[in-house]
Amino acid sequence: MAEEILTAETRLVGKEAARLDAVAKVRGQARYADDLSFPGMLFVKAIRADRPHARIITLDLSWAERHPRVVCVVTPEDIPGENVVPVIYRDMPLLAVGVVRYVGEPLALIGAETPEAAEEAAALAQVTYEDLPAVLDPLEAIREGAPQVAVPEAAEAGNIFTHMVIRKGDAERGFAEADVIVEGEYRTGYQEHAYLEPQGVIAVPEEGGMAIYGTLQCPFYVQNAVAAVLGLPLSKVRVVPTATGGGFGGKEDVPSQLAAMAAVVAAKSGRPAKLVYDRAEDIISTSKRHPGVIRYRTGTKRDGTLVAVEIEFYYNAGAYQTLSSAVLWRALVHAPGPYRIPHVKVDAYSVATNTVPCGAFRGFGSPQVIFAHESQMDELAGRLGMDPLELRRKNALREGDETATGQVLTESVGLPQAIERAAELCGWKGLRREVDEFNRQKKFRRRGVGISTVMYGVGMGAKAPLLDKAGAYLKLEADGSVTVAVGNTEMGQGATTVLAQIAAETLGVKLSDVQLAPVDTSRVPDSGPTVASRTTTVAGAAVLDAARKLRARVEAAARGFFGVDEVEISDSQVWPSGEPGKAVPLSEVAHWMWVHNWDLGATGWAEGAPVDWDPDTGLGKAYFVYAYACHIAEVEVDLLTGEVHVRRFWAVHDSGRIVNPALARGQVAGGIAQGIGYALMEELKSEGGRIVAPSFTAYHIPTSMDVPAEFVIEFVEAPYSGGPYGAKGLGEVPLMAAHAAVANAVSQATGGRLREYPALPERVLELVEGA
Amino acid sequence: MRKSGPVEIVRPKDLREASSLVREGGMPLAGGTDVFVRVRKGLWDPPFLVYIGELPQLRGIEPREGGVEVGAAVTHAELLRSPLAAQLPVLRLALSTIGAPAIREMGTIGGNVANASPAGDSLIPLYLLEARVNLVGPEGERSLPMEDFILGPGKTALRPGEIIRSLWIPFPEGKPLPYFRKVGRRRALVIAVASLGALFWLRDGVVEKARLALGSVAPTVLRPREVEKALLGKPLDPGLLRPIADELSRLVNPISDIRATAAYRRRVAGNLLLDAAARLPRA
Ligand SMILES: Cc1cc2nc3c(=O)[nH]c(=O)nc-3n(C[C@H](O)[C@H](O)[C@H](O)COP(=O)(O)OP(=O)(O)OC[C@H]3O[C@@H](n4cnc5c(N)ncnc54)[C@H](O)[C@@H]3O)c2cc1C
Repeated sequence: MAEEILTAETRLVGKEAARLDAVAKVRGQARYADDLSFPGMLFVKAIRADRPHARIITLDLSWAERHPRVVCVVTPEDIPGENVVPVIYRDMPLLAVGVVRYVGEPLALIGAETPEAAEEAAALAQVTYEDLPAVLDPLEAIREGAPQVAVPEAAEAGNIFTHMVIRKGDAERGFAEADVIVEGEYRTGYQEHAYLEPQGVIAVPEEGGMAIYGTLQCPFYVQNAVAAVLGLPLSKVRVVPTATGGGFGGKEDVPSQLAAMAAVVAAKSGRPAKLVYDRAEDIISTSKRHPGVIRYRTGTKRDGTLVAVEIEFYYNAGAYQTLSSAVLWRALVHAPGPYRIPHVKVDAYSVATNTVPCGAFRGFGSPQVIFAHESQMDELAGRLGMDPLELRRKNALREGDETATGQVLTESVGLPQAIERAAELCGWKGLRREVDEFNRQKKFRRRGVGISTVMYGVGMGAKAPLLDKAGAYLKLEADGSVTVAVGNTEMGQGATTVLAQIAAETLGVKLSDVQLAPVDTSRVPDSGPTVASRTTTVAGAAVLDAARKLRARVEAAARGFFGVDEVEISDSQVWPSGEPGKAVPLSEVAHWMWVHNWDLGATGWAEGAPVDWDPDTGLGKAYFVYAYACHIAEVEVDLLTGEVHVRRFWAVHDSGRIVNPALARGQVAGGIAQGIGYALMEELKSEGGRIVAPSFTAYHIPTSMDVPAEFVIEFVEAPYSGGPYGAKGLGEVPLMAAHAAVANAVSQATGGRLREYPALPERVLELVEGA
Repeated sequence: MRKSGPVEIVRPKDLREASSLVREGGMPLAGGTDVFVRVRKGLWDPPFLVYIGELPQLRGIEPREGGVEVGAAVTHAELLRSPLAAQLPVLRLALSTIGAPAIREMGTIGGNVANASPAGDSLIPLYLLEARVNLVGPEGERSLPMEDFILGPGKTALRPGEIIRSLWIPFPEGKPLPYFRKVGRRRALVIAVASLGALFWLRDGVVEKARLALGSVAPTVLRPREVEKALLGKPLDPGLLRPIADELSRLVNPISDIRATAAYRRRVAGNLLLDAAARLPRA
């Protein structure tokens, strides 16, 4: 990207535009999955396994079929195409055959005239099983003689789905050179996405094919899955995302499963079929953040210079692969943290167990290891008698440094600035003194300040570069308004607004003249999945490319229109250069172009910059660019009850150029809240492979009372030459950084060391009393 | 399993009709914040519901000689907004921790009492203030002290056809220091893992009289009278109260459940007494 675009004066990029979807959402006009209804629509209910691991002996659906309002019952034999939910591997069947591998696995489907009838009929299904030994814990699943959970073709060995490594330098030599070494095991549990809108889709048969409407992040994944189960060409399946009430990764792969289920019912009955989960079904049967068992050993010189790290971790993937290998890869690359470390050894494992498959969740495998690496940094600081901020400052990656995978960072490394700015905003030294003073005065309360620094590889990275591409289509309408078509979804993050800003900026039109076309896979270009904090960066670059082409054409036409050599366009006005008095509305030029048969459309294309990776050593250019953040949290711990309150929070991010600061701050604030929940309260209990109490009465997420009154959010912008106007990704980073700052603050306040999430009052009281 | 099909709601015109409908097996429905949740989950399966939430006889907040009579269908939010609540600070403290604003606008004090949960937050101040439950039923009216009305988790002394009409809340003598603290997994919209409410009457820097009530640490809200007595003559100094706090920990009878272990509840029960002492003025 040309240098000038990074420094150019902008009209709209970098400004706080209101969200394009705000009015419809505030007025209640946005239509979510369950708001849609089609004539003759059936309601789908899955019959699910209630055993973690068992052979299916009989499946008797005769009573269910006799229910007067049941229209059709679907078993594996009724699937016209392949019985599979294709994700990365093809090990997960749409409907279980022979064996069930987790509680909640779908066995058969009911299509009925009402949701109540579908539910009643599902309860009439009679299944007999022969129980098989189940294994629920990843460390047990890899023991010799453990029951085989993984479908063998999808696993590397036994229940190990995937094992990946980094081997850089010589860890053993590194530790031999180290003056101080710390070691620890960390554990994290499930995290539930808690999107406001549960999963839901509707499959509607149409001429020779199937249309899918639903709440989802990745329309092209869904298209692929539905085509596979129906045995249809991709061209006969179209996917239309509805207004989507939150995703956070939970609507990356899971909607493929729902859509495929609804589609087979629709195909068999010839009628539209709706499948919408209630919260309990959603919690029991959909993906969550992988629980982890994580072991670290980190060594430094006496002056705090990091020399070596050795990491081994196990993620509980659940019964099928789904996205686990991709999640594991991001975890692998992010495990050493945003530091210069010459000797790195990482072993990452994802392990099959008889539990619900885990999947994508904001941060995608990285928050677990970030908890560990940021805890290690604080433990080291303690042992070295060094300020934890100083330790990070000393080791933080700078431009020209090499990452743990041996990638040289040639540009856009804003981490040192982020650390300095965060320290400045909170008044680090004074804050620590203030806290010490408070702690001296109070008998039963202790405050603590925690810091975390993180890096985030933007986009899909070197393990799936085939997905890091995006197409865009722009059309100048004859009245000067502009339609933008991309295949990314708006799930509340503000993507459509940001893409419209990029289009309007580049074309020289008013933001209000730009409209995003509704997404429909049959009508918009494939711009890849809406994941990996990639939409602004990659789809934005495609929009920019299309907008430049279109602008060049409009300029050429305008030169003809005015009969001059040079024209200028801004704010939907066009004028001959140097003669602003002759400005005409762009609509006039657009109309003139239409009359004179100009091509008013333009396509754009973008690809992530090249990446590479050697699976044997884990070395290579893992991601084309990284985003960075430094978070600081102040907490207060009640020593009598173990309750923790996050009092204040400072967050500084480098995500390159910020296209819309208001939306960016919203992303950061939301991520901080989710991070507070992850560190302090979110706990999903299961017993014998069954999730107990799948509701928000038992699974607590933070309320407005649980987030700090004071939130300071800022951006240091280290522009990225490959991103539109210098933008990098942001979406996932805030959550990744926030929980670790809170965890470190809790440890500091209690004088103990938190090694397991969540820091519930009971666990914190143990820390207090053990300290 | 969710109940399928709607449950009928009947609207009686007065208390008499309400009582006879309840006698026929109908379940009283006030704010519905417990009823709807449980009916939907299939935990309760009443033949029909009797909506008493707007019966005028249940809606008043009436100051009387020495106290206030609060209609059973008065919502937590109404009570918090009423000037009388200012005279009962311990009630205010407890009510303002119930659920979140929406729940407080819907949920009623009568519903909270009838529900008889050991975690019912309004129960703590009602025990402390030695409130009475006024009942009306087919055999006329009667009145019971809170402690005799609540028999166990979800169990009350309500007889067939009886409805809670009101709560009689006497004003305490003098100006006791109020304390209420609810410990939970987050700061709002949460069920108590353990809670302590207290009234302390101090004279010359020592406790002259004390009442304590604990939630979620026994099958019902608990008044630990031994501990109340042990506090007499002691200053509110957390440094000196550790043995009494330990005694309190021993006395409670909690269970382990999805929210916390019994051991934690026991520990916190005692600790909350120290917290009260640390937070309240010493004289
Ligand atoms: C999200 C949520 C959060 C909550 N948080 C809290 C909390 O923090 N603390 C807390 O204590 N509770 C909490 N609750 C429980 C509930 O809100 C309270 O118990 C409330 O006071 C119940 O009052 P209601 O009017 O809604 O009762 P209803 O649901 O209408 O009735 C509850 C029970 O009482 C009976 N009943 C009602 N009125 C009478 C009467 N006059 N005579 C005889 N029987 C009667 C009903 O038949 C039923 O058995 C919460 C509930 C929800 C849904």
